Amino acid sequence: MATPQIILTSSDGVDVAVERTVAERSVLIKNMLEDLGDSGEAIPIPNVNEAVLRKVIEWCEHHKNDPPSTGEDEDNRRKTTDIEEWDQKFMQVDQEMLFEIILAANYLDIKALLDVGCKTVANMIKGKSPEEIRKTFNIQNDFTPEEEDQIRRENEWAEE
Amino acid sequence: MSPQTTRRRPSLSLHPRPRTAAHPIAFPKYCTLDQWRETEEACHDCCDGSIVEDFPEAVPRRRSAKSFSSLRHPMDGLVALGRRLSVTLRHKSSKNNMEIEDDSPNYQVASHSSHKRNVASQSWDKQSRTWSNNFSINRRPSLNSVTALQGFYAPTASIPVPIPGHGMEPPILPNDKFSGAAARAAAAAQNEQVKLEMTKRELVSNVSDVRLDSESGIGFDLRDQSDAPDTGLDLLRIDPVSYLPSEIMAQVLSYLDPVSLMNAESVSGRWNQQASSPYVWKHVFRSAYPQRPVSSTATKKKQSHGLGKSIPNQDWKRMLLVRRTLEQRWKQGKAAAIYLHGHTDSVYCAQFDEKKIVTGSRDRTIRVWDAHYPWSCQKIIGPPPGDVSGSGPVNNPAQQATGKSPFVTICPPSTPSVSIVTPMEQPADYHSASILCLHFDEEIMVTGSSDYTCIVWDIKDDYRPIRRLSAHRAGVLDVCFDDRYIVSCSKDSTICVWDRNTGELLRKLLGHRGPVNAVQLRGDLVVSASGDGIAKLWNVTTGVCVKEFVSKDRGLACVEFSDDGRTILTGGNDRAIYQFDANTGELVKELRGHTGLIRSLHLDSMNKRIVSGSYDMSVKVFDTISGELSIDLPGWTTSWMLNVQSDYRRIVATSQDSRAVIMDFGYGLDGIDLLEE
Repeated sequence: MATPQIILTSSDGVDVAVERTVAERSVLIKNMLEDLGDSGEAIPIPNVNEAVLRKVIEWCEHHKNDPPSTGEDEDNRRKTTDIEEWDQKFMQVDQEMLFEIILAANYLDIKALLDVGCKTVANMIKGKSPEEIRKTFNIQNDFTPEEEDQIRRENEWAEE
Repeated sequence: MSPQTTRRRPSLSLHPRPRTAAHPIAFPKYCTLDQWRETEEACHDCCDGSIVEDFPEAVPRRRSAKSFSSLRHPMDGLVALGRRLSVTLRHKSSKNNMEIEDDSPNYQVASHSSHKRNVASQSWDKQSRTWSNNFSINRRPSLNSVTALQGFYAPTASIPVPIPGHGMEPPILPNDKFSGAAARAAAAAQNEQVKLEMTKRELVSNVSDVRLDSESGIGFDLRDQSDAPDTGLDLLRIDPVSYLPSEIMAQVLSYLDPVSLMNAESVSGRWNQQASSPYVWKHVFRSAYPQRPVSSTATKKKQSHGLGKSIPNQDWKRMLLVRRTLEQRWKQGKAAAIYLHGHTDSVYCAQFDEKKIVTGSRDRTIRVWDAHYPWSCQKIIGPPPGDVSGSGPVNNPAQQATGKSPFVTICPPSTPSVSIVTPMEQPADYHSASILCLHFDEEIMVTGSSDYTCIVWDIKDDYRPIRRLSAHRAGVLDVCFDDRYIVSCSKDSTICVWDRNTGELLRKLLGHRGPVNAVQLRGDLVVSASGDGIAKLWNVTTGVCVKEFVSKDRGLACVEFSDDGRTILTGGNDRAIYQFDANTGELVKELRGHTGLIRSLHLDSMNKRIVSGSYDMSVKVFDTISGELSIDLPGWTTSWMLNVQSDYRRIVATSQDSRAVIMDFGYGLDGIDLLEE
């Protein structure tokens, strides 16, 4: 039995068909469908281009059977930056795509995907020196030596 | 090391305010000059340490300066840079050629939309749309082809080619499509060089991948773009702080550990601003020091974990720094000794929270002390005592040769008892013999005495006695309770279970063949330790003994039951701490180090510490994970240690020498009060 499909239109005007249950991982789309009813018309997703949209749908497909998150998860997910293996592979994309996925997850209100994205970025920062972080993201160090000095002093353990 | 960090408190008139090591003048008589010299030397060590540490951190700046000069002056550097640039420029041009051949602009649309995007800008979507409508084959070519070509052209890298500059423009690099970032990068030559080096490295290292991808991706299926970004994985470097809205960046940063977050603060001005947010620091603090859910089986009043209060404008970052310093002090065994004088005989028992310390003594009184400066005795419960004249010798320097001695010693004057004694009209209102044990929570306190009874006190009503529990036929050696039961154990080798609210004796647990020295309650389970050398686990509702934990040789004096009910620790005359698995009964570990009977144990699971007090006059701290002795505190009193308890910043130990000593690892630590709960 075919599951009902809906059409999403990406920012660059491409129509993408997706199972309704998959699309409903997005709270935004879910609410939209609930409010407006499924008219069969394409739903415009003006903030997400096709490449990113397909990536997001790929994630939703994989996670369509995940149990809905509860309030308790809120605390648990905070505690760890562990990412399940499939998601890790999924997030092996260039930085721009990664950030676009995060923005899309934020816009589409897919909390779990937003979390995975944020954790991925956090893991890129973790354990790195400031200079290594700058290299990772191509950031210009705009501190004066005095400012750097001050920050270092602030962050010294009081008795070290 | 800042000795001036003493917590500022309003000065009280009764005594000069105790200070940290650098102000020996203010010390009472017990701080000798030698002690002060020692601490001063310790200070110097600290200072040296920090100076040495300064150097490595200065290196990056120096290094960058070096690379700067290598760019400006030596020919070698210029030529090398030229070579690198030539590579990239060749690629640039070849890329341009490719562009006409392959019309696969779809993937780049997103990239272009992004480089115009501002942080947290709500208009990004508009721009995105604008750009996305703007299909143009003159945009960047697909990454597949570019990187592929870069791979193929790599061998030409060694041929020096003049740099075709665009007027005064910096050279265009393959990864500078985010023009904002590139422009900023171009402003600083050292970063440029770093980037060039990286780019070159990556080009070489990516060759094999790129080939594969170019073979599969060269058809440019418009529908299959999801794999495309993988090829350029290392080429795209974007500052997430400028790309992501600040609330999302805050979530990213809140996943970091404290050290990583501090490093993030040092990346750039914008990172500093983003990473310094209290929201981020709160989450980082909370995940570094998680609050435990209140365990339903926990019976004893929870020690403060020193996690601070969730109040507006809380300085979470400072709390974290204070917390780290405090941990450093625990590692070093650096604590102040604060002696509580007043009892006239052995102090058998004590319990404390953030505000007060309650002690019970052989002198038949219970004393309540202020847990903060000036640590005055606020109340004496029991028969009116005579005042102690002198405070006697404080600690035993001969004992301290091998372990950690106090970095500062403070002896607050004892408070005249007249003003603080609670008048007891009837002798029935207090114990007529030694106070052997006591336990309190937010509502009640229960004490046990050599007069064979327990007294339940109303802690909220100025320690008013509520009722007396009489059933034992010898001294009550230990007591514990939860919100249902009060459990007491006695020299008469029995354990009594009482109803907390009515005082009714519910049952007696019989089975021990010697005095029952200690008892603990977790949920429906009671664990007891006896002089007969056996610890027993009982079901408190049925009164059945369900398990036994036997010491190797001699009698047991103390027992601890972990909050999760899984671990039982016993100590006694074997001079070892035995750690048992409560479920299997298996002996898991044996902690050694004491040379006398182990009289008292305290387990702090959160901070992974086991604190023990012994007749060898030492207090020792063991690591719960490794079982290793981590701090040895010998000779802080002049006689046997009778009771120990610890929280996040201090150990309170009581001694046969009639004193209680606060071993305060947080003493004089600026901001320590932020951690109070």
